[in-house]
Amino acid sequence: MNLAVFVKHVPDAAEADLRIGPDGRSVRAEDLPFQMNEWDRFALEEAARLKEATGGSLTAFLIGPGEHEDSLRRCLAVGADRAVRVWDESFPTLGPAAVARALAAAVGEERFDLYLCGAQAADDGYAVVGPTLAVLLGVPWAALVCRLELQDGRIVCDRELEAGWFERVELALPALVTVQTGINEPRYVSILGIRKARSKPLEVRGLADLGVDPDEIGRLGALTRLEALEPPPPGREAEMLEGSPAEVARKAVAVLREKGGVL
Amino acid sequence: MSVWVIAEHRNGELREVTGELVAVARALGAGPVTAVVLGGPGETEAPAAGLPAGIDRVVRVEHESLAGFNGVAVAAALERVAARERPAVVLGAHSAAGMDWASALAAGLGAPVATDVLSLHRDDGGFLAVRTVYAGKLQARVRLAQAPTVVVTLRPGATEAAAGSAEVPAETEAAEVPAEVGRRFVEWIQEAAGEVDITQADVLVSVGRGIGDPEDLDVARDLAEALGATLSCSRPVVDLGWLPKERQVGISGKTVKPKVYIALGISGAFQHVTAMKDAGLILAVNKDPKAPIFRVSHYGIVGDLFKVVPELTKAVREAKG
Amino acid sequence: MAQACSKRRKWRGFRPPSLLAFQRAKAQKRWFVGKLRDIEGVPLAERYELAACLQCGRCTGGCPVGLRSPLNSRRLLYEALIREDGEVLVEREEVWDCTACRTCADRCPRGLEPVSVIREIRTLKIEEGRIPQTVMDALESALKHGNPWGRSRRKRFAWADGLGVPTLEEGDEAPNLWFVGCTPAYDPRCQEAARALAGILRAAGYPFTTLGNEESCCGSEMLRLGELGLFEELAEANRALLDEVAPETVLTTSPHCMNALRTDYDPAVSALHFSQVLARLADEGRIPFRREVPLRVAFHDPCYLGKQNGVYEEPRAAIAAVPGVELVEFDRSRERSLCCEGGGGRMWLEGLGEGERNAQQRVRTAADMGVDAVVTACPFCLLTLEDARKTAGLEDALEIVDLAELVWRGVEDLPDPCGLETRS
Ligand SMILES: Cc1cc2nc3c(=O)[nH]c(=O)nc-3n(C[C@H](O)[C@H](O)[C@H](O)COP(=O)(O)OP(=O)(O)OC[C@H]3O[C@@H](n4cnc5c(N)ncnc54)[C@H](O)[C@@H]3O)c2cc1C
Ligand code: SF4
Ligand code: SF4
Repeated sequence: MNLAVFVKHVPDAAEADLRIGPDGRSVRAEDLPFQMNEWDRFALEEAARLKEATGGSLTAFLIGPGEHEDSLRRCLAVGADRAVRVWDESFPTLGPAAVARALAAAVGEERFDLYLCGAQAADDGYAVVGPTLAVLLGVPWAALVCRLELQDGRIVCDRELEAGWFERVELALPALVTVQTGINEPRYVSILGIRKARSKPLEVRGLADLGVDPDEIGRLGALTRLEALEPPPPGREAEMLEGSPAEVARKAVAVLREKGGVL
Repeated sequence: MSVWVIAEHRNGELREVTGELVAVARALGAGPVTAVVLGGPGETEAPAAGLPAGIDRVVRVEHESLAGFNGVAVAAALERVAARERPAVVLGAHSAAGMDWASALAAGLGAPVATDVLSLHRDDGGFLAVRTVYAGKLQARVRLAQAPTVVVTLRPGATEAAAGSAEVPAETEAAEVPAEVGRRFVEWIQEAAGEVDITQADVLVSVGRGIGDPEDLDVARDLAEALGATLSCSRPVVDLGWLPKERQVGISGKTVKPKVYIALGISGAFQHVTAMKDAGLILAVNKDPKAPIFRVSHYGIVGDLFKVVPELTKAVREAKG
Repeated sequence: MAQACSKRRKWRGFRPPSLLAFQRAKAQKRWFVGKLRDIEGVPLAERYELAACLQCGRCTGGCPVGLRSPLNSRRLLYEALIREDGEVLVEREEVWDCTACRTCADRCPRGLEPVSVIREIRTLKIEEGRIPQTVMDALESALKHGNPWGRSRRKRFAWADGLGVPTLEEGDEAPNLWFVGCTPAYDPRCQEAARALAGILRAAGYPFTTLGNEESCCGSEMLRLGELGLFEELAEANRALLDEVAPETVLTTSPHCMNALRTDYDPAVSALHFSQVLARLADEGRIPFRREVPLRVAFHDPCYLGKQNGVYEEPRAAIAAVPGVELVEFDRSRERSLCCEGGGGRMWLEGLGEGERNAQQRVRTAADMGVDAVVTACPFCLLTLEDARKTAGLEDALEIVDLAELVWRGVEDLPDPCGLETRS
């Protein structure tokens, strides 16, 4: 089975004081650590397991500058045979539609049996690339897949819905799935593994190499344009309990008793 | 100009979020509101009958391929009708269903799309969507290009739902969907009931990924025990196999409304928050002062849960005498 | 604070490399640990001369976890000798129980290294990618943030907020570099000890600086968990800083950092443990003791300080210097000290063993001895003993005190050196 996986390298916003850049539209990423998008780790693991089970090939795709290659190297270390990074100087503010278009162009004439994406990206949280890419590739898809099984030429997958419900669907191959967290247990990727994968091919392509008209990307990019980033509204403005752990504990007990009606 | 609301239903039931979509569609003032109910043969009648007030027209679309609200078929069916009728906005929910069909519809139409939108505004420049990025740490204003149709999905729970009932006779429309869309609905599956029902608890002590280690769950268990509370958790704790799914709070887990909700090491992603924000009293402990959970909490403690929680447990035990 | 510095020329050129160094390390293939080269190709048995093993079991007999855990070094070595493929070995979950205390290697009459064979089996597991989640989180965090505790690099120096602790980032130069370490920097309990040490060093007029947020994990535990490549990346990042700074002395809070710098880094960094510095400062009469500390204490020798590096006297000398303190000895002390099971990456592993942990045994013994406090000088010991004190229900009977905290109590009344004196 020939598989394609699409991954994104994203900043880890946990514990970060996100600072908005001078243009008002970007986050100052220089001091944020980056990592492979959480959902993509599960997609990659699923792809690697399918490859191990069925033989065949695995190709990894990523859109991003050179610093984002880490995530592709991980894919290679986990079992991808080859990786493709697409980048163009005009890219930095691509919207999801343009990203999907560029990825479709990178797939080009190649045909895979199954395409796997993460359900969403942790940074912009659009959850748009997967189904969009499926439309561009002309294959059926299923989003939010939390279980996947191969059955003679088809895949049967469970989509995770709300409130403890799931939907079982059957997809004819070739098809695309977007993967939900928890579908598997992603393996650890060692540094030695990543180093060894350096000998595997990693191609870098620009728009011109892909034969894509930059104007088209520009137009798609402008469909959904980020105008401004701002701090979120304060919401409930929680009253902060301050002091030593023992003090805050005492204050919390008072709150639980007086406001919570417990104790 | 018109606004289309894609009614969300499952297993014969209209989902609550549809009322929220209608409310937003109405407030937008971008023309009459059409509710579109898609589904397999016999699947649309009941949901259509449950639609709230504020709708000017109801269209039911049925087709074999649409059975089970099949996302591939829904996108295909909507694409054809929308290309012809050119609604200004197609509104859906940012739900498991919306995440399946909406962006595909936009791709088919070449239309601008904004997902997980908190509020949608119309001005001279067209439509402006407000949404969150970086797991709720920042808010983004997103401009949708001027186009015959834009596709928008709204975050469930972000708006007050429209009430009442539609009282509009439904039209039926023949679906122009290919018989074979490459995807077939098989069945709905409900997670088996577990041993505990967190929705019945008065007090929940809920742990998130911040707990870091399954062994450390005892820190939270101790507090729960001292308070006579039930232990619940966020999704990663379930993904990692540290607690069973039945204890998961969130849109893909359970919606809870206890008297007291204590969130330990939970960042406050909307998929979690939506399902617990109506708790009577929310107390959050998180080491990150910028964690979005503090925005839905009544009380907050910035600190290491391993330091704070044992003290809290001790103080609770003392208070109980 | 800035002291005259012999290396001024180099210092001025100081630019924090941090993440850059990480990237550079990836580009260069510089190996730090000569003996780790070629982990593939040559079978384990050959590399470690396992044919010389007598199967006498002295290694297993001395193993601090052997009584409770299925870990059996003698048997593992035998399996490694007769099985060439290593498949059986990779299945062995008990290798995660090893605390890397090196007792086995010290006791082996043939000079074999069971501990290294175990580490290599861990490496095989790591290369397969199937490892306990907690270990995975620690390793990934060390790569991403430069510390195994999942905390942001930008908060590394937050423990010193308000203390006026000098850092090179701020341009504070000094001949002595304090390598603070991850656990003292991030763990709230260990931060107290780090703050006490900062207070003492300043009160004693000891000129020092730190790497601030630029310091990375020393890699000791990553190496012992079997993640060689990660160890190299971390070591490279620290090495780049140390080369640029070229301090006269490097002192560490943790014996694990000291041991890594001394024995795992290649070329070695001659690091000192803070207990050694305190002993010297006390000896020179530079610690301004002002208060009696009427405590009867027992000293718990950290394995990486004592058994592995032979530092037994200095911590005792520092304790003895504190006015009012009475030092008594555990029956099992110095070379025979009981391992607390915090090493070898065990901070992220519960272990398969059942029954009472060594640390619990330790605090119980201390309580029976009637001491007021157990003093130790290692962040891992501090945490495991603190934990054991709680599980053993001895919270009211016994204190666990870091050596720096004990000394600080003799100097100042304040629990914390915050606001004591700000930077001049
Ligand atoms: C379709 C879909 C459905 C989903 N459904 C759900 C759902 O039903 N329920 C759900 O919960 N999520 C759900 N999610 C996932 C959701 O987006 C978040 O990823 C998830 O809620 C994050 O969980 P968390 O807060 O525990 O972890 P994180 O976001 O990783 O947050 C951990 C928090 O712990 C804090 N912390 C760490 N260590 C400590 C410490 N020692 N002391 C104090 N604080 C500490 C950190 O500062 C951080 O804020 C869903 C996602 C999708 C796409
Ligand atoms: S290093 Fe210590 S714990 Fe590990 S096998 Fe040897 S004696 Fe046992
Ligand atoms: S002590 Fe040395 S010789 Fe004896 S069994 Fe252990 S490894 Fe073999």
